Amino acid sequence: MVVAGDFAAAPKRSRSITAREVDVTAHIEIRDVVKRFGAATVIDHLSLSIDPNEFMVFLGPSGCGKSTLLRMIAGLESVDEGTISINGQRIDNLPPGQRDIAMVFQSYALYPHMTVADNMAFGLRNIGVAANVISARVAEAGRMLEIGHLLERKPGQLSGGQRQRVAIGRAIVKEPKAFLFDEPLSNLDAALRVRTRVELAQLRHRVKSTMIFVTHDQIEAMTLADRIVVMNNRKIEQIGTPMEIYSRPATRFVATFVGSPTMNFVPVRVAGGGAGGVSVTLGDGTSVKTAVPAMKLEPGEFTLGIRAEGVRVAPNGQGVTTGTVDVLERLGDRTLVYTKLKDGSVVVAEDIGYSRVAVNDTVSLSIDGSRVHLFDASDRAWHCEEGING
Amino acid sequence: MSRSTSIMGREFGDRLVLALVIVFALIMLAPVLWVIGLSLKANAELMADTNSVFRAPYTVMNYFNILANSSVFRWILNSLIVSTCLTIGTLILCSLAGYGFARLNFPGRDILFVAVLLGLAVPEQAVLIARHQIFGILKLHNTYQGLILPGLSAPFGVFLMTQYFRAIPKELDEAALLDNASRFKIFWKVLLPLTVPAQATLGIFTFLWSWNDYFWPLISGTKNTMFTLTVGMASTQTNFAQSEGLGFLMAQAIFAGAPILILYLFFQKYIVTAVSGAAVR
Repeated sequence: MVVAGDFAAAPKRSRSITAREVDVTAHIEIRDVVKRFGAATVIDHLSLSIDPNEFMVFLGPSGCGKSTLLRMIAGLESVDEGTISINGQRIDNLPPGQRDIAMVFQSYALYPHMTVADNMAFGLRNIGVAANVISARVAEAGRMLEIGHLLERKPGQLSGGQRQRVAIGRAIVKEPKAFLFDEPLSNLDAALRVRTRVELAQLRHRVKSTMIFVTHDQIEAMTLADRIVVMNNRKIEQIGTPMEIYSRPATRFVATFVGSPTMNFVPVRVAGGGAGGVSVTLGDGTSVKTAVPAMKLEPGEFTLGIRAEGVRVAPNGQGVTTGTVDVLERLGDRTLVYTKLKDGSVVVAEDIGYSRVAVNDTVSLSIDGSRVHLFDASDRAWHCEEGING
Repeated sequence: MSRSTSIMGREFGDRLVLALVIVFALIMLAPVLWVIGLSLKANAELMADTNSVFRAPYTVMNYFNILANSSVFRWILNSLIVSTCLTIGTLILCSLAGYGFARLNFPGRDILFVAVLLGLAVPEQAVLIARHQIFGILKLHNTYQGLILPGLSAPFGVFLMTQYFRAIPKELDEAALLDNASRFKIFWKVLLPLTVPAQATLGIFTFLWSWNDYFWPLISGTKNTMFTLTVGMASTQTNFAQSEGLGFLMAQAIFAGAPILILYLFFQKYIVTAVSGAAVR
């Protein structure tokens, strides 16, 4: 299953790669699974399908159940109800070692008394892989991850980043159907995390396999994922591509959790529909034309959600409303302008990098109606028709 | 406070601590040096004045007298067999029990653990008569089994190993499970090697305790051939106050304690670790 790059060069492995290519990656099907710890239900009737070769990220706050779900797939937690299958074969009743899955732990979980090479070889020895095949795979993984010179060292003699590579190497040599990553970057410092994230993105294109990555970091999720599963409070809030999650959040939670700065929320009243979309009235009486189709909504109280890039500081009088500048965040390429509307609502708007706006200025704000989301009382989101805002 | 004053204060504090440590070490060392000194003096000289220890002549005659007793080497062998078997047995049993208490879920585990710990509170004297009778019925007195078996019940060892296994991250077990390792393999290949510092600590303490044990071997081993070194040495003492054989007595003490001293020198690192409570991993 580990194809491209240097790995393909090993002649002894080419046959095994070919043989495995038939069912080389996993289609993982999670059906209606429930997990309870005593009286507490931590996963509540959750269903999910992960495609072969897909890089799926479970994103959510601490305690939302994402790590538990990953551990259930790995076999480290039992499944109380429901089933988990890989390529149509039920695996939730198999022990972890027989699921053909490899996992990279948050703490790396390297065996401290074994050398790097032994750490990588341990799993292969347990399933009776021939010694020459093991050394070939370890050497290849070492070269691929640039840890070939560290093979005789013990984990205690490695830096955090090197340990992380060894943990990935230990997973790679097993040539599993699926890789599971449990917040593997969270123990790294900020700079190393960014570098490793990029390397992980490169690695996933070389190692063709289904990958599931758990994180609470939205940047990791957005940059690595083919699709993101946003979880909250034991349930899935939304499954979608990073841009779907960002631009068409299904719920207010998703809209809040993903994106920085967080989405602006302003209470509005849906006045009624017109051609193209409903108009809403802000607390200060301003009317805003949105692209949300009128037929979807009943008139009433809603919350308008819009990201900072949908609200621009407009030349005087050309915006739809005005606000007083509270705080300025100059980010270089753009400036985030925290403004207070007349009704007290705080809205973050964007301006150019060299913004001339100053604190306490009154600025005119334009709102891009195509980027507006409306959230009803149950926090469900209503958007414009697909394609209007990308 | 200025920076230089702070550094000077710290230096003064360090020197004070060092001085206290030296004084304390001398207080601890003085009796040992005294015993060594006495063991190198003739009994007759010591009867006249123990202060003669500060003056020549010195002699190793007391040590020759010990070795002249043909049973001494048998007693050393007995002590070695008992202490070694007891140490190995304790390490095996305590490691398995510690792993079980730390990692396995079974009904009554916590109650059983408390019951084991309660064993720490029961003094040997409280069970001595019952144990003596049981061993008598089972005909275990004057056998190696009789000398070894009671020591295998080691609540402290179980407690130590349980705590040590608990301190090892469970992710290691989980990683090994995903590596298709059996539960025994996880114990043997992954966890047990990580407990070597605790094993060494427990092993040393068990060996020291067993080597120095006098009470139970005195009761169970009544035949000269089944004496351990401590019991055998005691059996050679003739008069109650040792007024006639002080040098010989001190030579016996050194002779019996020498193997322990050697053991200590070899495993000093682990003993210090054990006493300080720090875990080397």
